Amino acid sequence: MMAKRADYDESDGSGPRSKRVKTELNGSDNNNNSNGGTPMESNPYLAHWNEEPRHTDRLASFKRHATTSKQAREAEDGPLNPFTGRPLSSRYMSILKQRRDLPVHQQRDEFLSLYQQSQILVFVGETGSGKTTQIPQFVLFDDLPHLNGKMVACTQPRRVAAMSVAQRVAEEMDVNLGEEVGYSIRFEDKTSPNTILKYMTDGMLLREAMNDHDLTRYSTIILDEAHERTLATDILMGLLKEVVLRRKDLKLIIMSATLDATKFQKYFHDAPLLAVPGRTHPVEIFYTPAPERDYVEAALRTVLQIHATEPEGDILLFLTGEEEIEDACRKINLEAQELQREGGAGPMVVYPLYGTLPPAQQQKIFTPAPPPATPGGRPGRKCIVSTNIAETSLTIDGIVYVVDPGFSKQKVYNPRIRVESLLVSPISKASAQQRAGRAGRTRPGKCFRLYTEAAFKKELIEQTYPEVLRSNLASTVLELKKLGIDDLVHFDLMDPPAPETLMRALEELNYLACLDDEGDLTPLGKLASEFPLDPALAVMLITSPEFYCSNEILSLTALLSVPQIFVRPANNRKRADEMKDLFAHPQGDHLTMLNVYHAFKSDAAQENPKQWCHDHFVSYRALQQADNVRLQLKRIMERNEIELMSTPFENKKYYENIRRALVAGFFMQVAKRDGSGKSYVTVKDDQNVLLHPSTVLAEDSEWVVYNEFVLTTKNYIRTVTSVKPEWLLDIAPNYYDLDTFKNTDVRKSLQRTLTKMEREKAANKSRPRY
Amino acid sequence: MAHSDEEEDYMTMTFEDPKPKYETSLQRAARERREAEDRSRQKSKAELKEEEERARHAALSTALPTDNKGFKMMAKFGFKQGDALGKSENARKEPIHISLKEDRSGIGLESEKKRKFRERMEQAEREAKRSKTQELDYREAQRQRLKEKKLEADLKKAQRAAERLHGEKEKTEDPDKIPLKNINVLWRDLARERLEELREKKEKHQLLNHRLNKRSPVFNDEDDEEDADDKLALGREDAVPLVDDDLEEEDPELEEFRSLPLEERVQKLVAFLRDEYHYCYWCGHKYDDANMDGCPGTTEEEHD
Repeated sequence: MMAKRADYDESDGSGPRSKRVKTELNGSDNNNNSNGGTPMESNPYLAHWNEEPRHTDRLASFKRHATTSKQAREAEDGPLNPFTGRPLSSRYMSILKQRRDLPVHQQRDEFLSLYQQSQILVFVGETGSGKTTQIPQFVLFDDLPHLNGKMVACTQPRRVAAMSVAQRVAEEMDVNLGEEVGYSIRFEDKTSPNTILKYMTDGMLLREAMNDHDLTRYSTIILDEAHERTLATDILMGLLKEVVLRRKDLKLIIMSATLDATKFQKYFHDAPLLAVPGRTHPVEIFYTPAPERDYVEAALRTVLQIHATEPEGDILLFLTGEEEIEDACRKINLEAQELQREGGAGPMVVYPLYGTLPPAQQQKIFTPAPPPATPGGRPGRKCIVSTNIAETSLTIDGIVYVVDPGFSKQKVYNPRIRVESLLVSPISKASAQQRAGRAGRTRPGKCFRLYTEAAFKKELIEQTYPEVLRSNLASTVLELKKLGIDDLVHFDLMDPPAPETLMRALEELNYLACLDDEGDLTPLGKLASEFPLDPALAVMLITSPEFYCSNEILSLTALLSVPQIFVRPANNRKRADEMKDLFAHPQGDHLTMLNVYHAFKSDAAQENPKQWCHDHFVSYRALQQADNVRLQLKRIMERNEIELMSTPFENKKYYENIRRALVAGFFMQVAKRDGSGKSYVTVKDDQNVLLHPSTVLAEDSEWVVYNEFVLTTKNYIRTVTSVKPEWLLDIAPNYYDLDTFKNTDVRKSLQRTLTKMEREKAANKSRPRY
Repeated sequence: MAHSDEEEDYMTMTFEDPKPKYETSLQRAARERREAEDRSRQKSKAELKEEEERARHAALSTALPTDNKGFKMMAKFGFKQGDALGKSENARKEPIHISLKEDRSGIGLESEKKRKFRERMEQAEREAKRSKTQELDYREAQRQRLKEKKLEADLKKAQRAAERLHGEKEKTEDPDKIPLKNINVLWRDLARERLEELREKKEKHQLLNHRLNKRSPVFNDEDDEEDADDKLALGREDAVPLVDDDLEEEDPELEEFRSLPLEERVQKLVAFLRDEYHYCYWCGHKYDDANMDGCPGTTEEEHD
């Protein structure tokens, strides 16, 4: 084996290719061994090795950062794949033709010259310009990362986009996904040592930076969809602004779909800007003459009016959340059927679209509109009722009419009451324009805004607030500390958050013992930053062996990291609730979730897990995902030598230990019952809250930990488990320092507990004398 | 913090109960009993909601104290109370305001309601002030009211006369086709009122029609054959003509005119009519030349 490898190293010549050869050879070597030693030369899978000199020659003649679009075109034309040396397929050729029709190809030379001249480049391309798929490939042909053993990274705000774009680009480059082109998202890495172009979520790149501060694996980093201003993209921009000073060989491209790109330019020291027009048609905008009393009703009315009176073309209606959307779909369906029956309108199919919808159902929105009910009759139409995910992330062709009530659910965070919640809020002007633009993808369209023009001008803010202003920054601060950035006060963010947000994050991390009083990372903090989790969850997981239940807490952490596992369909609520009761643990929702997971993993359920989930009204997808997350987290635990253990189930402390371990992470999310009523008070912020109606908790719990503080028309705490005040004082004495409590009731009650504990301690001490 | 809308909110402010300095044991027992009763009493939903809102409001309007541990860590890097983070110029200092939406009202409805309410309040205030400062007795007030009524009538009449004369001179067929801004501010009110009436009618019509449409959408089949009149008749004209934009637009010129005292407005119109059209409002006659022979004078008294 060793001899063979040496042979190949020699024959391959020197340079960065040798790394690739070795890895591929390892695979084939094993094959040979198991097959009883077939000669290498006759292995059909390795036929392309003979072609190697030719294709390397082709790209070898390229001078890095001095190529032209003409050279690249010739290389793209084949007949051999310039990156793998394999013959190019006919499918590749037909895709190549389509690709060259994309607007960005018109400006390939212009792009190359700017890219070559400048370290940082801002690129503006509207949706449909082809920037996400093409620009990284343009870069590959000029940056030639494989010759230096480097990679090109292209970040995406969403996991789904990273996966689907990587898939598409792998097809365009005629390679297998995960080989030359791969992707990396949280809990899933589909890359290999051959990878030269990596699509990844912005969060993943940030995590990589934690262990490789200068991101030395990359020669070019592309931040795509920067206009979305996700938390991770904003942090990355701040970080890369410093990295480019240290690494002059690193190139950075900021890609945005909107024209406020001048802000990016200014932030990056007046970097050059290149704009490519998208393919859009004019959209006529209509406003209502007076404000609407009920935006949902107005939306339904408008959709039906469009259906009854406007010519052919699909409708996109923006609403705020799952429940509202499902309800609207039902109503539109009924009314549309009536219109068709009695008014001779064409058939209309209604599809809901929101993030938590299973992918198969999300795909349905791409079904073409139905044909006329009778040949020659009025044309059919589809109507998509969507959250703001249809605003930027998904492109649906055929939409001609957009109905925009002007609201979306947006995450908000307030450090003063420490609530992070989704609230229905007015959208921004930029969002409204983006929504209107969706009507002009295929042909000229119309956008119906359900507010007055005066309200558009006066009441809507210019830009949606970037996520960094609307988030709890505890895990970000932990990441930044791990990145070696100590002075967070002067960290150069594009839009710095309110100082109190940072203050709260630092304080929380200090209570969690991830930061010491000086603000420096503690060993626990370092360990917690290894986990792609919220600090509270990470700390809970790390400390769980102290409570003899790290197996269970590991499962629970996984369950808390995935979407809602309980399914409660509108038409079958009662049955769903009965099923949930089967798993209910009277002491809390966390324990109930754990019961579900254990049942799911039982042999009986695993015989047909899909059916089992369906029968028990739990989400198969969420549980499967939890399983995967659990596995990933388990690996990190093993790597860091955190022991996995369980209290025997027969032990009466089995559940108590789990509840204690919960306190170790969530002691800052505790509420105490207020008087004798149903209402609770959060212990330090003194917010009146109610238990979320979905809870299984029996009513006699005076103290609870909660996973979420949800703000709707009422304050709710969701996913709660009962705990004992003794544990709070015992496990988190710093946080439960009685002098820091303003609420007299909470303080008194804790004081009583403390006195009792001291008495017991004294009694225990004196007991041996008897 | 000199913003006018950040005045102290007396509605939600909490006032500490002044506690007696000394408390006898009986008093204390009574107080504790009272407090215990308060605690054990089941609160009504409304009370709970109010309490919840009060607590939220109180917490949201209080900045984190400087004894916060995070503050101390930040101070190490030179952060002071009132500073912003980062290096950009106008970074925010306060967290984003949280507002809870409790109903399905459309964008702009809330501020529209507020504006109307404010206007009504201001009107009431103005009236209250006027009657207060003048401190007139009933008869005087009555006289004043009658006078105002007459002035209002005069204003209307003079405006109508001006509009008519202007129309005759300029030969405009339909004054409602002219954009509001182009109408002389002296009688713009007339045109505006007509437009408002029209719009109200149209809205009513549309509403009615919408219901009809919903029940019998048969009409919608022959879109192409409808001409503009049909559409108007069926109330199906969705692009509301420019008059509505006109109404939405702010009109500072008109506002200014409206804010003048009635008497002055009438005077202005009378003078205008005389200068432009040699028309004496008080005689009700259009004279041939600028001399206006036969008109006793410029004021109403002179015509008595």
